[in-house]
Amino acid sequence: MLWAVATLTFFAVHLVPGDPAQAILGGPGSQASQEALDQVRADYGLDRPLAVQYLAMLGRLASGDLGDSYALKTPVADLIAGQLLGTLTLALLALVVAWVLAIGLALWSTSAGRIGRAIAAGIELTAAALPHFWLATVLIAVFSTSLGWLPPVANDQPSGLVLPVLTLAVPLAGFLAQLMREQMLDALEQPFTTSALARGETAAGIRLRHALRHAALPAVNLSGWAIGYLISGAVVVETIFARPGLGRTLLRATELRDVPVVIGVVLVVALVYVAMTVLTDLVSRAIDPRIALEERA
Amino acid sequence: MTSRRIIRTLPLAALAAASALVLAGCTPAAESPEASGDPVTGGTLVYASGDGEPSCLDPHVGGNYPQALIAGQFLESLVSLDDSGEVIPWLATEWTASDDGLTWDFTLRDDVSFTDGTPLNAEAVKVNVEHLKDPDTQSSTGYLALGKVDSVEVVSDTVARFHLSAPDSALLESLTQPWNAIESPAGIARGMEENCLAPIGTGPFIVDEWVPQDHVSLVRNDDYDTGPADRAHDGAAYLDGIEWRFIPDSASRYAALQAGEVDIIDNAQPDTLDQAAKSGTLVEIDAPRPGASNRIELNSGQAPFDDVRVREAFIRAADVNDGIDALFFGTAERSFSVLSSVEPLAYSDETLFATDLDEANALLDEAGWTERDADGIRSKDGVPLTVRFPVSTNQSIPAEQSLFEQIQATAKEAGFDVQLEPLDLSGWYGALFTHEYEAVSAPYTKVGPDVLRILYHSDSITPAPSGYFANLAQLDDPELDALLTEAASESDPDARAALYEQAQQIILGGFYALPLYDQQNHFLHSPKLQGVRAMPTVSTPTFADAWLAD
Repeated sequence: MLWAVATLTFFAVHLVPGDPAQAILGGPGSQASQEALDQVRADYGLDRPLAVQYLAMLGRLASGDLGDSYALKTPVADLIAGQLLGTLTLALLALVVAWVLAIGLALWSTSAGRIGRAIAAGIELTAAALPHFWLATVLIAVFSTSLGWLPPVANDQPSGLVLPVLTLAVPLAGFLAQLMREQMLDALEQPFTTSALARGETAAGIRLRHALRHAALPAVNLSGWAIGYLISGAVVVETIFARPGLGRTLLRATELRDVPVVIGVVLVVALVYVAMTVLTDLVSRAIDPRIALEERA
Repeated sequence: MTSRRIIRTLPLAALAAASALVLAGCTPAAESPEASGDPVTGGTLVYASGDGEPSCLDPHVGGNYPQALIAGQFLESLVSLDDSGEVIPWLATEWTASDDGLTWDFTLRDDVSFTDGTPLNAEAVKVNVEHLKDPDTQSSTGYLALGKVDSVEVVSDTVARFHLSAPDSALLESLTQPWNAIESPAGIARGMEENCLAPIGTGPFIVDEWVPQDHVSLVRNDDYDTGPADRAHDGAAYLDGIEWRFIPDSASRYAALQAGEVDIIDNAQPDTLDQAAKSGTLVEIDAPRPGASNRIELNSGQAPFDDVRVREAFIRAADVNDGIDALFFGTAERSFSVLSSVEPLAYSDETLFATDLDEANALLDEAGWTERDADGIRSKDGVPLTVRFPVSTNQSIPAEQSLFEQIQATAKEAGFDVQLEPLDLSGWYGALFTHEYEAVSAPYTKVGPDVLRILYHSDSITPAPSGYFANLAQLDDPELDALLTEAASESDPDARAALYEQAQQIILGGFYALPLYDQQNHFLHSPKLQGVRAMPTVSTPTFADAWLAD
């Protein structure tokens, strides 16, 4: 799978018009001389046919070497290692917050009446549809500029994390809550609900101990996808809140056609995605023992 | 013009004086923020840059504006410019040129060391010039500026002799630029990777640490006592240091300034400037960049703009003024020159750029673009009147992109099909390499009118497939070439000015470019920050004399 990801990325970057040599040598206002361009093309092997460049890249990756950044001239592995933690912290915190929000919303809406459910559905739908850049701008305008409670750009303090995490978490919570609410309502109509009630279980207890378990399963499975969603959202969020991280690294590398960095970041994100999928699989088994039983049968 | 720059600062000064007077009259004890007296030592300034984070802090490598912005805090040049555009001493105290203009002697200060202890001497200047000219350095801007410098000879410890291949009237102007600043030879000798992380200079601050995508920490150089001849005070900077942050999003940058998280922001956008002016609590620095103005170049190397009538028709049809008024909130002034208004030799001719739709239509009829389709787009021999216009989203701010859309709409009335194509930087370069454009806007920052040679001399049309070319109008006129070459080696200031005026008349009169406004360069800072000024060289702010008031 990683090979497929690397191949797709390599050709996608090269499909877009643009000359990495020009970008390597500067940007706005810097005009590279012909000699310098030729030099750079030779240095980085950009004058070789695409197929040769592709094979060279595969050879490098196979030996575990992500290569050096065109623009920063430093090893891609170091670059990613320095940025990975920031993005993972952001994404995982957002995932946790999204879960908390979604569970809270689902528990409340399933206990509320018809009107409550309609309101919850509205909130979920709106939240899920909010674009990150818009939400970020509104959060900054409200909590930084107007109220002055939170810093508008990331800083070393935990307070700097609040707005970026909320920006990522709210739309995701909308998705998760939608899914969980439907599943919980299904579960509450199942015969086991009636028998639990007969055993003397309270309505809240049923939702917490039984229905939630049902409802959580698809949402947990969705969390693998959610991590991918959150990391792609990090591109926008890290840029707006000026937070260092993989998202900004990827954006900048794409603009510069810094091919080794683009491929490196995409591979690492793919790895995280794979790891997360394995993890959600394990969590699903813990929640629903039937999965393991079915496999044994 | 220099006079215009002074006028720009006048209202501010008048405001400061007036408010000081008013306050003095009412409440004698109160202090106006603009006039709160004595500099304060200490404190760390937080700077928020909206420019792309440099990939190397050594401005010799590559050489773009973001590098110049930060390098000006820790590197210094041989000479500088004062507010009237005169060359003044900096690391060099005096300079003389031989009669043939081929040999220049620069006398250096004999009491200056780089912050690593390496002495500043003629050998150091020689090493820097060689570093800039070495292809391995991958210099572009600084390299081009030294195009006519063959070598540097060490005459004595304090005298460096530049040997030129041809007289260069732009040499001093070029040497004022941060891209040609002087670095410690020992620092250069560490190799590119290390030198990129923390170049070593003689400036008021020292690079302490660079956390990629987050910030660069600069600390005060306690031994600092150089500075250009027009510096406000002697000795080390007042500030303990600078935290140089990168906040790419314009709204976040402004929010951070309002929240007091940062003290100064660059790349303040028109809407932000408008808000700030209304709030009245922030201070603006308007420092247009030198070199070329922002202008739309019309590609005269291929149809349809190889016909001067079609170029003039486009310029007559495009309504620029209304767009600027509506989109820039009065923060940008219309330009009628291809040079920046801060260039003393800028020549301006407003009469050439009057909008006149009837005239545009008449010119296009005369040029044979007589057929029109259902949308009103003209064509000639079945070929539609298409203007491909690649727009660099990295270089054109949102207001400018909207302005292009207005130009697109007004040009359509005359029958032009302007196809705006927003591209990122690499894609944009790609469109230029392959000549897939009829119109394009590209900034170019350089000190002095020699930028005209880079932008409009036919030598700057490098043949495809591989090369970049700065002459995006693809202007190929032997008479203009001769004028620009002569001006570049003319040592008499009056004769040089006359030559550049003639050259600009040819460029403007041939309708090769549609000037828009100066390269916008607005800073906003908190009133706490005082003593900051934009360098008269490339308009980057310097904090050598700045302090944070309590």
